[in-house]
Amino acid sequence: MSTQFAIEEELKQSINNAFRSAKVTIKRQGRINVEFRSGILPAFVSYLKEYLDFKHLVMMSCVDWLEDNEFEIVYHLWSYDHKVHIMVKVRLDREKPVMQSISKLWDQAETYEREIHEMNGVEFEGHPGMRDFILEDWEDLPPMRRDFKTREFVDKTYEWRTGREDKQDVRETIAKQYDTEVPDFKNSK
Amino acid sequence: MMNIKGALVPFSALKFLGKKPHTVRYPLEKKDTAQRYRGFHFNDLEECIGCGTCSTICQNEAIDMIQLDGVEAAKGDSGLRPRVDNGRCCWCGLCVDMCPTGSLSLTDQYLHTSPDPDSYLLIPGKDNPEMKENISFVKSDSEPLLQFDRVPMRELDGAERVKSFAEVVLGYMQEEARAEATRCVDCGLCVTACPDHMHIPEYIGAIADADDETALKYIYDNNPLPEMCGKVCTRQCETVCAIGHLGEPIAIRWLKRFATEQFPDPAAILNPVIAESNGKKVGIIGGGPAGLSAGYYLALRGFDITIYEALPKMGGMTYAGIPKYRFPEDSLDKQIGYMEKVGVKMVNNTRVGKDISFDKIRKENDAVFVGIGFHIPYTLGLTGEDLENSIQAVDFLRDVNLGKSVDIGKKVVVIGGGNVAIDAARVSRRLGAEVTILYRRRVQDMPADWEEIEGAEDEGVHIVPQGIPLEVIGNNGKVKSIKYGMAEMVADDKGGRPRPVLIEGDEHILEVDTVIGAIGQEADYSFLPKEVMDELKIERGRMVVNELKQTSIPDIFAGGDSVNRTADAISAIADGVKAVEGITHYLLDE
Ligand SMILES: Cc1cc2nc3c(=O)[nH]c(=O)nc-3n(C[C@H](O)[C@H](O)[C@H](O)COP(=O)(O)OP(=O)(O)OC[C@H]3O[C@@H](n4cnc5c(N)ncnc54)[C@H](O)[C@@H]3O)c2cc1C
Ligand code: SF4
Ligand code: SF4
Repeated sequence: MSTQFAIEEELKQSINNAFRSAKVTIKRQGRINVEFRSGILPAFVSYLKEYLDFKHLVMMSCVDWLEDNEFEIVYHLWSYDHKVHIMVKVRLDREKPVMQSISKLWDQAETYEREIHEMNGVEFEGHPGMRDFILEDWEDLPPMRRDFKTREFVDKTYEWRTGREDKQDVRETIAKQYDTEVPDFKNSK
Repeated sequence: MMNIKGALVPFSALKFLGKKPHTVRYPLEKKDTAQRYRGFHFNDLEECIGCGTCSTICQNEAIDMIQLDGVEAAKGDSGLRPRVDNGRCCWCGLCVDMCPTGSLSLTDQYLHTSPDPDSYLLIPGKDNPEMKENISFVKSDSEPLLQFDRVPMRELDGAERVKSFAEVVLGYMQEEARAEATRCVDCGLCVTACPDHMHIPEYIGAIADADDETALKYIYDNNPLPEMCGKVCTRQCETVCAIGHLGEPIAIRWLKRFATEQFPDPAAILNPVIAESNGKKVGIIGGGPAGLSAGYYLALRGFDITIYEALPKMGGMTYAGIPKYRFPEDSLDKQIGYMEKVGVKMVNNTRVGKDISFDKIRKENDAVFVGIGFHIPYTLGLTGEDLENSIQAVDFLRDVNLGKSVDIGKKVVVIGGGNVAIDAARVSRRLGAEVTILYRRRVQDMPADWEEIEGAEDEGVHIVPQGIPLEVIGNNGKVKSIKYGMAEMVADDKGGRPRPVLIEGDEHILEVDTVIGAIGQEADYSFLPKEVMDELKIERGRMVVNELKQTSIPDIFAGGDSVNRTADAISAIADGVKAVEGITHYLLDE
């Protein structure tokens, strides 16, 4: 075993002894990634917290893997003793994204889960008070989903400031400079 | 019991009075903002090329592209500059990360309050030049959002290449073309540099969308020889590509090639609509890219077109000059075949002025287009130049291309540094000769395409830069060797490019079997009758034309090498396309 990553290797060993299906990768010194099944995630992070000293939940985030039709929830945990940062990643079905809340393990998870619920539309089972986070009466697609059309939303939501009427289209400007016309074959098939 | 703690606490706080505070320092020090703070935009207006990528990417539509006093449009610059609505900006920094030149940045300045809503519109760089000193958020080098590396092109390797005239460049495969096309930011600046102003972002976009049929339609809208251009174009477009500022330009030429090569018969996709005959006839002299392009679009507009060509096949220098390993003949045949389908009549093996008179063509047609190219080579002006086996590159290349057997022996020297010289050298290698190129100036001064120069070197061509030929030495009337002198580059006092000046006494002799001259060509006007020559305005060997390619004689139009200064295929095509407008205007008053 290389001594360079001694702690990381040891942690990896421990994790795999307890959870054989966890896919552990040592990214660099002090940084470990774990891909895990979503079903027993709370048990897994609880194990990391209680037995391997990952006491601090740094944050939670959510990635929209639109092409794979999946969401990925990422739990960032930190151990003050080992000085190691672990990212635990679980994938959820994008059509029915449901995850179990870990707010019983860390109070602050409540806030992160509320945010992810609002921004990506992921449900958290067992969350003590799922209410609006920063958006009020939001009825559109959750805005951090990649298929949310930000520009369309912006167009219909915000007024155009006056004084912007002189804006030009770059392609049209160039076509005009050289006295050419760009035909539209794309929409005239 | 009375609780006196509450009454004492305020007094116990007094003890801190004498202590040095940990948090606040006096006198008050202003803290620096965070290192990558994202405040107001700053733009280096000289670096910015007005590509509009910042405006396209902004999800808040906070950026407008506008005209600015003092900023002129130029090749590779739209002349527009971004203006930011700071009432909308959320300081995400996407615009900075996507800016292909790196001109745009965010500063650590962020305070602004005003009752005037217009004051939230800021033209970065113009309205806040002083913020140049406050730049804090710049494009990330480690995780660029733009893709700066070109999808590499597969080629035969040098040793394999010299064994035959097989095409060197192998072309992109589907996946490669899609990946390359996706790198494009769709700005359209390339169009400014293309002599023919092709619809480049449109066809690249279609290729990225896997819609090659639409790509083909955009391509053929103003270029009827795109497969040829896809292989041999001088691609001025790529020199101004926005991505080329910090990375490798999009392989525009190879993408065009990819799209055209997907379809064995363009007619099947384009379904060209040929206008009903308008009763007007146009005679075209010379079947090069200029003549063919004029002919194709005129035919589509219902003109009756006949092209007269001295050689056995259409194509001009792209048939008789450009070697087959760069532009295979079946590709040329495919493109000519399509033009015939559209109704262009082609008369080969007919030299105007010899096989048919110019006057007859002029009489039989309502207008004439002259696209005769530059086919008479300049002589080297050396003693011994008229020896047997002292030949001209264009003659040599034509003979090889037309399948004549040419004996150049075992050792060849090519004189010149342009594409014609490189082609002659690489063809000579394929005929089995050892080849030296003698060029007056430095390698970096060679007008040839750098890819061609590299290609020649890969194939074992030896280049002698700063070598000036002095004399061709013969034996029994045949070339035996060449004498040349080495030159040093002397700065030009008048600010021109450095001149080569012979170094006294530094002379060399190279044993050779053949000397090939490639220092340029000129036009052959001998087919024109005297009355026409008297009236036709010619300057420095080139016919003078107006915007619409009309010469000083109203019914005579002209284009291509014998008119323009850029002397490449796409310029000839552009001339042909413009002449179509001119001729239509002249004959139909449209
Ligand atoms: C060796 C070589 C390599 C080149 N490589 C490239 C390249 O890689 N990329 C590029 O863009 N350009 C290249 N060029 C330049 C390009 O081929 C020319 O710019 C282009 O062909 C010019 O087109 P044109 O129609 O003006 O004339 P040409 O192509 O020269 O065509 C003129 C035609 O007119 C015919 N003609 C002339 N006089 C008469 C007459 N009296 N009667 C009947 N027919 C006549 C000629 O036979 C010829 O076929 C190369 C040129 C050469 C010589
Ligand atoms: S920082 Fe973001 S929101 Fe602001 S102008 Fe740039 S892209 Fe738009
Ligand atoms: S993306 Fe950069 S180069 Fe392009 S217009 Fe915006 S600031 Fe200028």
